Amino acid sequence: MFPGLTAVLVPSRCPGAAVAARSAPEDTVTSSFASFIRAARPEHLSPTVRQRSKRMILDSIGVGLVGSTTRVFDIALRYCRELYSSVAVSSVYGKPGVKLSPTLAAFTNGVATHSMDFDDTWHPATHPSGAVLPALLAASQMVPPNTKPNGLDFLLAFNVGLEVQGRLMHFSTEAHDIPKRFHPPSVVGTLGSAAATAKLLSLSSAQCCHALGIAASLAGAPMANAATQAKPLHVGNATRLGLEAALLAGRGMEANPLILDDIPGCSGFSAFYSVYQPKPLSAPGEHHEFLLEKQDIAFKRFPAHLGMHWVVDAALSVRNLFINYAGSFSPSLIRSIMLKIPVSKYINRPFPSSEHQARHSFQFNACAALLDGEVGLGSFSESSIQRQELRELLDKVVVEHPEDNVANFDKMYGEVALLLHSGDILTGKCDTFYGHWRNPLSKESLLKKFRSNASHVLPEEKIEAIITLVDNLENLSDSSQLACSL
Amino acid sequence: MGMTRCTVTGNFAKVINGLNANQLTDQVIQRSKRMILDTLGVGLLGTSTEVCHKVAQYSKIYSSDLSSTIWGHSDFRLPPVYAAFVNGVAVHSMDFDDTWHPATHPSGAVLPAVIALSEAFPQKKKISGLDLLLAFNVGIEVQGRLLHFSREARNIPRRFHPPAVVGTMGSAAACAKLLALDQQECKNALAIAASYAGAPLANAATQIKPLHVGNAAKHGLEAACLALQGLQGNKQILDMESGMGAFYTDYNPQTLPILQSYPWLLDQQDVAIKRFPAHLATHWVADAASSVRRKLVQSSENLLPLDKIEKVILKVPEVRYVNRPSPASEHEARHSFQFVACSALLDGSMSVQSFASENIHRPALRELLCKTQLEHPPDNTPSFDSLYCEVSVTLQDGNTTSDRCTTFYGHWRKPLKKEDLEKKFQSNVHGILQTEAMEGIIETVYNLEKVEDCSVLSTLLSGQSARALPKKLRFF
Repeated sequence: MFPGLTAVLVPSRCPGAAVAARSAPEDTVTSSFASFIRAARPEHLSPTVRQRSKRMILDSIGVGLVGSTTRVFDIALRYCRELYSSVAVSSVYGKPGVKLSPTLAAFTNGVATHSMDFDDTWHPATHPSGAVLPALLAASQMVPPNTKPNGLDFLLAFNVGLEVQGRLMHFSTEAHDIPKRFHPPSVVGTLGSAAATAKLLSLSSAQCCHALGIAASLAGAPMANAATQAKPLHVGNATRLGLEAALLAGRGMEANPLILDDIPGCSGFSAFYSVYQPKPLSAPGEHHEFLLEKQDIAFKRFPAHLGMHWVVDAALSVRNLFINYAGSFSPSLIRSIMLKIPVSKYINRPFPSSEHQARHSFQFNACAALLDGEVGLGSFSESSIQRQELRELLDKVVVEHPEDNVANFDKMYGEVALLLHSGDILTGKCDTFYGHWRNPLSKESLLKKFRSNASHVLPEEKIEAIITLVDNLENLSDSSQLACSL
Repeated sequence: MGMTRCTVTGNFAKVINGLNANQLTDQVIQRSKRMILDTLGVGLLGTSTEVCHKVAQYSKIYSSDLSSTIWGHSDFRLPPVYAAFVNGVAVHSMDFDDTWHPATHPSGAVLPAVIALSEAFPQKKKISGLDLLLAFNVGIEVQGRLLHFSREARNIPRRFHPPAVVGTMGSAAACAKLLALDQQECKNALAIAASYAGAPLANAATQIKPLHVGNAAKHGLEAACLALQGLQGNKQILDMESGMGAFYTDYNPQTLPILQSYPWLLDQQDVAIKRFPAHLATHWVADAASSVRRKLVQSSENLLPLDKIEKVILKVPEVRYVNRPSPASEHEARHSFQFVACSALLDGSMSVQSFASENIHRPALRELLCKTQLEHPPDNTPSFDSLYCEVSVTLQDGNTTSDRCTTFYGHWRKPLKKEDLEKKFQSNVHGILQTEAMEGIIETVYNLEKVEDCSVLSTLLSGQSARALPKKLRFF
């Protein structure tokens, strides 16, 4: 159907052989990653890993669908459509009539996924699914009909993408804390996408190695663009550029075969960290344990930075106390609102002025929760952000950074105290919000979130069809059906 | 929300937006035209490389109504962003493009982007040669200014490859200029570009390195286009440590000088233009080695006493990624002090052909490589402004012949003469474009500020039939 495309995807064998002859010896970290990507099989996916990753896929799609209603998505889509047209084979979230070229579809869908900061978060910190899923969806539609990967291949590739991201983050102690310099999805996400795509396209071990190397030269975006409209591009680019890296590797492009290893005097992937200790991945034998087995993901209940979820749950709890105390929520009784939060500059915003800033503001989320009794999609609209009552509450907020409140998604807590004019103090504290990996969303809650998100752009039949497809992903004979159903 | 706060980012946006052609000095015009000519030649030559073939094939996945020229090709076109990508890769494919101080490859990140963009204007607006020249210089200037924000940048890099960092920003600035973005949009173009910037140095000396420049051009252009569409980023991207500061360990952003009599960096600091396609540091070695060879040959009946050579010692600065005793590929050979020294000793001078496979693997060279060692004198700092190279050849009889090069021909302290710049261009382009096109480009670039419609340059670059030309070569 698309002869040009077929040429793209058939991995060239001869250059691969030449590369193998010159490639790094087996004991490098980089080659261990390449071997893992190449050798991982569906049998290596445990039931827990399967189940968790399918939940992630469903949530990611839902979040992407609702994300297709945002302004930033609009810009990205318009850009892609105006500058590029044909060889459009890949679907775009929430736009059934529209197709784009694969990398641009991945880009657009990645932007959609992160547009509202509603997508999943892992520990160590990154947004893993948005960096991987769009690339796989786009690639699955790109592959010629007779070589379509089945659902199990797809699920495996997805998990390879997650695993690589997780393993990379373990190379640096820096990665355990909320980031300060480079935005993790743009660092590990790009390599995760490259790995996942390389897996789906069955690249050779050497080509997998080069895919990682090429991706490294496409990785890295500074934190300063978080809390701006440009942040979603980090995930969009991670998934798009990782896909590009794999496609280029499949066509014989070669990079440094030691990209993940420590190279004194000449940085490879270590360029993104000040402390860097790479470790090889063991080959996935019978006992390979995917990180997802031990460490689940957090799903967000409302579209804001993960840190916000602790203060919101704490705020809701103290709000209840307050209502019991005063009969109703009466802001005039409140002298000040004390927030106990970890130190993290980019989510400490006393007076956010845009939706992007509001999603990255402890203060805003606490006050919205206090005022409304809940935080949802609507909390971040322009009118909601500018509300007088909300601004008045924000004026009363004081922030404290207790030493024991570490800027780390596994250890942090949120505390909201209402200091009343009467002298009384009411306190709410949250160690583990509902949706965190220690207190995961139930199946019903996850489905509710998905249906609510998807209903913004898709009719009920399509929504239920996607749920069924993902639930039975391993039994799908042609995984591109998933992409086609969006 | 006005521009009341004096941020460095806001200041950059103001300058990008506010600079106009009247502020280009004669020296800047002359130097930048030389850079443009050299870059075009190097790019055209580069279209014949394997890496360039691969990215062109890849980029053909995309096609569209809006399209730009691929240098040296009249048989297909690509969307502007991919044209910028492919041409940028071509420019850096052989490491033959210009180098500046502080260190980066400034032109390759900017020229392909502005040329591609000039062809793809909405409503087919005409872009003049002067517009192009101004935008080009804005892109160069922004790169230079950013490099001054960190002391790290003064030395040969170790962590991130500078074209991927400042090149992306320069491309965004140049395209923002050409698109006549307003101040807010310029700020956003810079902010968006920052999120694309950065590639680790470890991919230097591999086939990927050219993509650093290709991607810089491509992503800068994309950033400017997204800004035009209204996308917004961090308005203080240049000010913050978590912004551009993320790429450096020491970071001190400063505002730019005022627009009046604007002092362009290119006025004060010229570029180095390479005479052969290899890392700049090897150029010192080549000149020293050639000179040693001349001396050796003179004293032994005009023949190089190859088998009498006991050892070759190179005194060079410590630059890990150019220290390769036994390079196996062309990319590695271009990043090897040892290889270039031995090559120059054997052949008397370096050329494009020095890096052909048969020359990389010839036995005489391999033998000489085995006898070659590096030394790193502490006074030899890894900076393109101050490094030197000394080559010493010791024969079996104990006699040592040596020479030191502090400034190679082509360095900014000893710039290429006009004739030699043109010769390089002609030699590069030979076989890729017809003579009329070749001469047409030289003439167009030399008269760039007078060219009414710079699409003539693109037409010439594509190698289209010479008959189309005379009509279009119209000057003001």
